[in-house]
Amino acid sequence: MNPSGASAPLVGHIALLAMISFGGVPGVLPDLRDFVVGANGWLTDREFANCFAVVQAIPGPNMILMMSFIGWKVGGLPIAIASALVTFVPPCALAYTAFGFWDRFRDAAWQRRIRRGLAPVTIGLIIAGGYVMARTGSGWASLVVTVAAVGLMLATRINPLWLVASGGALGALGLL
Amino acid sequence: MTTGAGQGGVWKLSALHDIEASPPRLTLGALFGAFLKVSMYGFGGPIVWARRIIVEERGWLGEAEFADILSFCQFLPGPNVVGVTVCIGARFRGPAGALAALAGFILVPWTVGFALGAMLLSYAQTAVLQGFLRGIAAAAAGLIIATGIRLLMPHRPRPVALAIAALAFAGLAVLRLPLLIVVLGLVPLSIALARPQQAPAR
Repeated sequence: MNPSGASAPLVGHIALLAMISFGGVPGVLPDLRDFVVGANGWLTDREFANCFAVVQAIPGPNMILMMSFIGWKVGGLPIAIASALVTFVPPCALAYTAFGFWDRFRDAAWQRRIRRGLAPVTIGLIIAGGYVMARTGSGWASLVVTVAAVGLMLATRINPLWLVASGGALGALGLL
Repeated sequence: MTTGAGQGGVWKLSALHDIEASPPRLTLGALFGAFLKVSMYGFGGPIVWARRIIVEERGWLGEAEFADILSFCQFLPGPNVVGVTVCIGARFRGPAGALAALAGFILVPWTVGFALGAMLLSYAQTAVLQGFLRGIAAAAAGLIIATGIRLLMPHRPRPVALAIAALAFAGLAVLRLPLLIVVLGLVPLSIALARPQQAPAR
């Protein structure tokens, strides 16, 4: 298994990532993968991709579950719970505090300027998150599925659930 | 037109705000139940279900106010939908409402999802499940990219915004810089370059 000393640095890093994850947690996936797989070798690339795939295949708070599974792989159930808590408790406390203030000044010029400045950074990070996950897939067939999913999402009003299910079915048939 | 606001768009927003200033009285149980449903339905994109359930099904918020809360949460750190949950809960019932909505969103769905997912991960070595998960990951990566592209669409007229988005993408995906470096480097630059919006809709 993994060195028990890994738990504290992992939970600390997840806590840090959660507090800088502007635009949602998908944007931190590249950094998380480099930390967990690349720098520390706690999980293999395949295990990391499995965690991401599993949370897409089940209902519930996806990204909190993703952090929980990484914590679970590294330090068992206690670290899974700790990873979940640091993912949402500090951001929730911040959201609660900031919302009252934000709501009061929603029409102020400075607020509109911040909104316009933050949006493109956020969007670039989200796309990078998807790109990095696509790259962990093996081979051209997986890439075709990713590109097809992008195209169908943009061009049609299809329920995303069908795209996820179709990808899973193609994979289960051994085509990817 | 007796309000002090000078711009048309602003006047409209504050008028909307007045209309929606007296929200329906919701029980904590109703908040818990609604966000339990959002979470349990939310394969892939919980935002879609949050909007459908809160705006269409329950009619607790109008489109505009939901969009306002969402855009606020989109640039707070953390899982977006969780932020939306806390803000909507707080909007109706203060701290207790925020906790009730959050508990609905997390407690049962996390437990169910963790048990299901742990089971799937234990069998992750079998060939069929490997293929299944690989296919799901490939499709889900596409959904994330498409969501990003959708969000980018309104910014097309602003070359600066497109350049900043490209830099953020390149820093993280190509140069593999740590997220903290990318965020701290680009956010101040991007805000500095963002021109304060002139009169809306000219």
